[in-house]
Amino acid sequence: MRFVTSILPLRAVAFFGHVLLGTAAGLRGGWRFRVKDFSRVMADCSAKAVPIVAIVNVLVGAILAFVGAVQLVKFGAGIFVADLVGIAVAREMAAVITAVVMAGRTGASFAAELATMQTNEEVDALEVLGLNAIDFLVLPRVMALVAVMPLLYVYGCVAGLLGGLLVAAGMLDLSATAYADRTVEALSWAHLGLGAAKSVVFGGLIAITGCYYGMYAQRNAAGVGIATTLAVVASIVGVIAIDAVFAVCANALGI
Amino acid sequence: MLLSVEDLEMRFGDKLIQSDVSFSVERGMIFAIMGVSGCGKSTLLKHMVGLLRPARGRIAYDGVDYWASDDATRTRLRAGFGMLFQSAALWSSMTLLENVCLPLEQHTKLDAAQRDKRAREVLGWVDLDEFAHYFPADLSGGMKKRAGLARAIVAEPPLLLLDEPSAGLDPISAKRLDDLILDLRERTGAAVVFVSHELASLLDIADDAIFLDVDSKKPIAHGSPRHLRDHAEHPTVRAFLRRQEPAPTSQAKTTTEKAASS
Repeated sequence: MRFVTSILPLRAVAFFGHVLLGTAAGLRGGWRFRVKDFSRVMADCSAKAVPIVAIVNVLVGAILAFVGAVQLVKFGAGIFVADLVGIAVAREMAAVITAVVMAGRTGASFAAELATMQTNEEVDALEVLGLNAIDFLVLPRVMALVAVMPLLYVYGCVAGLLGGLLVAAGMLDLSATAYADRTVEALSWAHLGLGAAKSVVFGGLIAITGCYYGMYAQRNAAGVGIATTLAVVASIVGVIAIDAVFAVCANALGI
Repeated sequence: MLLSVEDLEMRFGDKLIQSDVSFSVERGMIFAIMGVSGCGKSTLLKHMVGLLRPARGRIAYDGVDYWASDDATRTRLRAGFGMLFQSAALWSSMTLLENVCLPLEQHTKLDAAQRDKRAREVLGWVDLDEFAHYFPADLSGGMKKRAGLARAIVAEPPLLLLDEPSAGLDPISAKRLDDLILDLRERTGAAVVFVSHELASLLDIADDAIFLDVDSKKPIAHGSPRHLRDHAEHPTVRAFLRRQEPAPTSQAKTTTEKAASS
């Protein structure tokens, strides 16, 4: 038993458990955070994140189309660039790339903000008041990112497909209508559903990881920097690992 | 007895901070925790509000052992604390008004308008009513401290814990703060436990005090600061309260004498 407890990251497991219990209590009508805080976090990780999510996804869609076009054109199958870009963006790239952008942007911001609050004793002040820091500080962030990630995923999909269309139209002289028709034919709801499901899980992972490293940061300036770095690194590794698990499961289920 | 601390031992891992700390605080009493920097005064305060767990000993409120209680009882006991942190610890994402309203929201049944009115009234006591909609980052250190005090006292808790309330304040503001504490005690019967290095505050308002020694890691004096200033047996305590260099201990004296003779 001692061996098991020594190799398990018990603090992280306990933190995750607290978040789940808080969420369950909240869903039963007991949210303890302020709507104002939730709205502020929501605005920060939605509308303000749209430009960077759009730029990165347009570029990824364009790169996929470019690589695909160079190869497919050799076989006279240039039109299938639309299949390649559509399926890759909807199943994988929009969710993963958006998650990586949000890990660097919002996950880091959660970690830095909470670590600074620890340093300034703001978290202690909440505890003394009888407010649970996880309910009051962590849950609004987790809920906001989980709610916003599927929307950003849809936005990322549109941007990625647009990037593919631009390259295909430029390199292959395909008409926008033909490209769009082929994309619609290639895509199914299963691809989009899989991508959307991933984005929800990625949102939860990034928010919980950022908050965890922020809440347990050392109480000094260096601690804030370390917490931010760890949050981003752990989130990105976690996103890719979970994406691999999704790929295996989707293959096994024939999705 | 509102608060009793019995045989408390505080540690950070293996490092001993203080041991054998015992005292009690009654309603309406102003109790000071004294000692040189780094002796564990703020740490003791954090143990008293449940932020740190003692290595040994007992902290009880109205006879209820804090650490032997369940979570619900601890939350109920915490409703009776008002704490001013050394750094003020105002919530940076909230305005002063929201900072001061939150304890009312948490511990009273006042509606939003009543909370707002009460918070503005208390901000007025500390001369910050004009800054109600400012964020903590826009205030000076002294203003943050006063706002932190307003937040601590707004719900009129029976026990106020103040960590260096007058540090960073000008002498006039510090005197007004002392008067405010005395006035609050008068009106609400609250007990106040405070950590301070300000001799004027210690001598003027504290009824009882304990002195934590950084060398022996134990309390070395207990009594009213005025009495300790004139009658304390330990030279460090007398020196602290008279603002003097401490007299050399016998061991230090012997070393100095040996050095002089060689």
